[in-house]
Amino acid sequence: MTEFPEHVYVHVPLCVSKCGYCDFCSVVTSERLADTVVAALTVQASTLAPAGSCAHASTLYFGGGTPSVLGARLPRLVTAMRTVFGVAGEGAEVTVEANPDSMVPALAAALVPAGVTRVSLGVQSFDDSVLRVLGRPHDAGSAERAAGGVMATGALDLSIDLMCGVPGQDMRSWEESLVRAIDTGAAHVSVYPLTVEPGTPMDAQVLSGVLPAPDPDLAAEMMLTAERMLGAAGIVRYEVANFAVPGHESRHNSAYWTGRPYLAVGPAAHGMVAADDARLVGVSATAPAGAARLRYAYASDVQAWLDAPLAPPAEIEWLTADEAAREDAMLGLRLSAGIDPALASRAGVVGVLESLVGDGLLERADDRWRVTQRGWLLGNQVFGRVWAGE
Amino acid sequence: MTDPARIRNFSIIAHIDHGKSTLADRVLQLTHTIEDRDMVEQVLDSMDIERERGITIKSQAVRVLFTAADGIEYTFNLIDTPGHVDFTYEVSRSLAACEGVLLVVDAAQGVEAQTVANALMAMNANLEIIPVINKIDLPSADPERVRHEIEEALSIPADDAVLTSGKTGEGIREALQAVVDRVPAPIGDAGKPLKALIFDSYFDAYRGVVALIRVVDGSISAGTKIRMMATSTVTDVEEVGYRRPANVPVDELGVGEVGYLVTGLKDPSLVKVGDTVTLARHGSTEALPGYRDVKPMVYTGLFPIDGDQYPELRDALDRLRLNDPAIIYEPESSHALGFGFRCGFLGLLHMEIVKERLEREFDLDLLATAPSVEYRVTKTRGDVVTIHSPQDMPDAGSVDFMEEPYLKVTVLVPPEYVGAVMELTDGHRASFVNMQYLSNTTVDMHYEMPLSELIMDFFDQLKSRTKGYASLDYELIGYRRSELVKLDVLLAGKPVDALSFIVHRDKAYARGKMLTEKLREIIPRQMFEVPIQAAIGGRIIARETVRAMRKDVIAKCYGGDISRKRKLLEKQKKGKKRMKNLGTVEVPQEAFMAILKVDD
Repeated sequence: MTEFPEHVYVHVPLCVSKCGYCDFCSVVTSERLADTVVAALTVQASTLAPAGSCAHASTLYFGGGTPSVLGARLPRLVTAMRTVFGVAGEGAEVTVEANPDSMVPALAAALVPAGVTRVSLGVQSFDDSVLRVLGRPHDAGSAERAAGGVMATGALDLSIDLMCGVPGQDMRSWEESLVRAIDTGAAHVSVYPLTVEPGTPMDAQVLSGVLPAPDPDLAAEMMLTAERMLGAAGIVRYEVANFAVPGHESRHNSAYWTGRPYLAVGPAAHGMVAADDARLVGVSATAPAGAARLRYAYASDVQAWLDAPLAPPAEIEWLTADEAAREDAMLGLRLSAGIDPALASRAGVVGVLESLVGDGLLERADDRWRVTQRGWLLGNQVFGRVWAGE
Repeated sequence: MTDPARIRNFSIIAHIDHGKSTLADRVLQLTHTIEDRDMVEQVLDSMDIERERGITIKSQAVRVLFTAADGIEYTFNLIDTPGHVDFTYEVSRSLAACEGVLLVVDAAQGVEAQTVANALMAMNANLEIIPVINKIDLPSADPERVRHEIEEALSIPADDAVLTSGKTGEGIREALQAVVDRVPAPIGDAGKPLKALIFDSYFDAYRGVVALIRVVDGSISAGTKIRMMATSTVTDVEEVGYRRPANVPVDELGVGEVGYLVTGLKDPSLVKVGDTVTLARHGSTEALPGYRDVKPMVYTGLFPIDGDQYPELRDALDRLRLNDPAIIYEPESSHALGFGFRCGFLGLLHMEIVKERLEREFDLDLLATAPSVEYRVTKTRGDVVTIHSPQDMPDAGSVDFMEEPYLKVTVLVPPEYVGAVMELTDGHRASFVNMQYLSNTTVDMHYEMPLSELIMDFFDQLKSRTKGYASLDYELIGYRRSELVKLDVLLAGKPVDALSFIVHRDKAYARGKMLTEKLREIIPRQMFEVPIQAAIGGRIIARETVRAMRKDVIAKCYGGDISRKRKLLEKQKKGKKRMKNLGTVEVPQEAFMAILKVDD
């Protein structure tokens, strides 16, 4: 083993209800299911990092689904995972995703002693009519109460998720959501333009004309507005969709963009390790010649995963050193810090980057390659060409 | 050799989809020409594309033995013909090889445009016409009404029409007995020099060009030195025989017989449908009537999407032409699309079929430009040039006048759709000639209109405006003077030659406007704003803009699922690959056909 991954993603595949736009792995929760999931996650984690292993993770991220629907089970799960992955001491970052309806003040208070340091709250909008279009189970009032409960602990960093480009959402609604997100005191805000995923109920609504399709131009204006308003409040962009008060960036998510290995726990959870470490995550197949990196994911069917939580990953993908370098370059360009010339030449994409500069999507400044204002909005053009290497 | 008195040569003719091929299948089964276990649907349509589309493209001739009611065995030559107006000439030559036809009419649909056109052709060829009302098993079948329509529309007595069902086999024997009783035996002179009609040909990879022939006078056998009269080609016959439908060699084909002839020739253009075969020495001096050089009606540019496939496209066309001598092609180069071929076809269906066969049988990805017709340009200096492509249009200043091909168009339609047809024809520069009621349910409408308008989505429009009830037939009536202009399209300020088209001056403004609007819908937003302009002789007449793409980013994190992000990006890239890159603008293939879809 080269090095035990310092980052662990734990997927809690449960929600109080399924939102119309969502195509993530989640099912509607129940008491019994919640018990079963927590047990299975714990068993899987203990197998990945058996007692006495040299695990010493520095970030843990509980995503979903909606981890907060676990209620009182959540702090117990966090504690168990911290123990298993050797998360100790001051510097660790432990994030839980939460929805306003289940992030009650008592839960917020109980997360602090369990070692949680960040709560990422799925607010999406402070406009009830937008929340209804999205099929969210909460309203703006409960979002503010949940945010207040998290802030009242005095010990948790609050991050708020907001969505723009939602059918029926206008600029005024968006600006108000931004203002109210800032007013919660959150040190971190994520801004996602809505993508209508094929096969979701929202997709059916758009296809049948019940909902208008999202307007990409308006979504673009909204992204620019977010950057301006959040920036004015001291919450600055550090990644294409993420804004933070400097020092409050998500270290876990940053690991994704900087080519650092991370482990996965739970159904549909994705991980990445060096090819040499494949056996660490239960992949016994020999790496093909030239493989440098392994990306893997567990079964995305919740029941299938529950039936065999110790089964090896259901999906694996090997990348060569060249591909890994291009991937690092592509992902690094998601960050406002950009990438350094060494990575660009290792990935063999200097020519591509230069032509992207010509298109006004990139700039070369302070000896780094960075995305421009225009590049943020047309990120796929940058990422697609860098990944293709042409 | 078969005694001519025991021979019956006949064809089955019908409007498309009236059950001709299925009826032929039943005939082959009933006469044990093909045993049940070897039977497939549409057995005479051997091309995949014929079976899939349920159409006949190539003619076929099968020898069938039928024992009639009098106990005598007759030799039938069943000649299966294409059913589409694109192949009218081939049909006329196949009919010339017959003495009679089974005119098949769908018991529910009744008489349609090609029923009339085919019946007229059979009458002109002096053939005995036996009406067959088919598909009587259908719940909506109304044989009495159809009988009436046949009498009204075609002036053919239909009292003794045979009622059949290709599906159940009912009436097939009666239809064959009617052939014996009513179709005359062939008449010819065995003592005269050979005279045989070529009514189709195909290419065999091992044996070269094989002609399907009908012997009129004399006889032909292996070793006979023959001459094709129209092309003056001389060759030695390698083999003669008949088809069942596999080739069965015989020593000799005599008067009235139908069969095949292995010419030993490798160049299909030497063996022309309609030509007369005679002896090389002391042959007949008078050819059989009706031969003409088939000329393409519709032209289009075919370009490989991947420019490197140009040599493959050339080889594919060379090979396809062996079996389909009606295709013509010459190299064409376009600034926008690179190297390709300007190809001529018998009609739109023929064009579609050829493109599909090139793509399927030769694994090519092709882009077709909007179809055009052959225009005649008389220049101010008096010389006349013909052009097949808008790119060849001379400067307006050097043109005295232009002419374009005109058609006589027949539309058969139920009376309630007469208004819809008039509206459609109005928009296509058609002039009304007359109309008549064939029956209470069918009106026969006649128009004259330019071919260039007919290929502007006219048929699809006709079908959709009449809920599929209208049927169409047409024939070329010659060239007429017309005020024509070339309309150019500019993308991002640059002319795209492959989007140019020739249009009547009165229509130019409206078509230009609609085309730019259509292109704005078809061309996806790009990194930069793309102006779309239509221009005549440098003067812009319409403009639309594809706005620059503002947002294209997958921001969502998906819990570290990077593979998914990459796959989405790869999918986007694949989508782009299917587009044609014109300078800085990426244009989907359908843009080049957009002019056909503008509806006015």
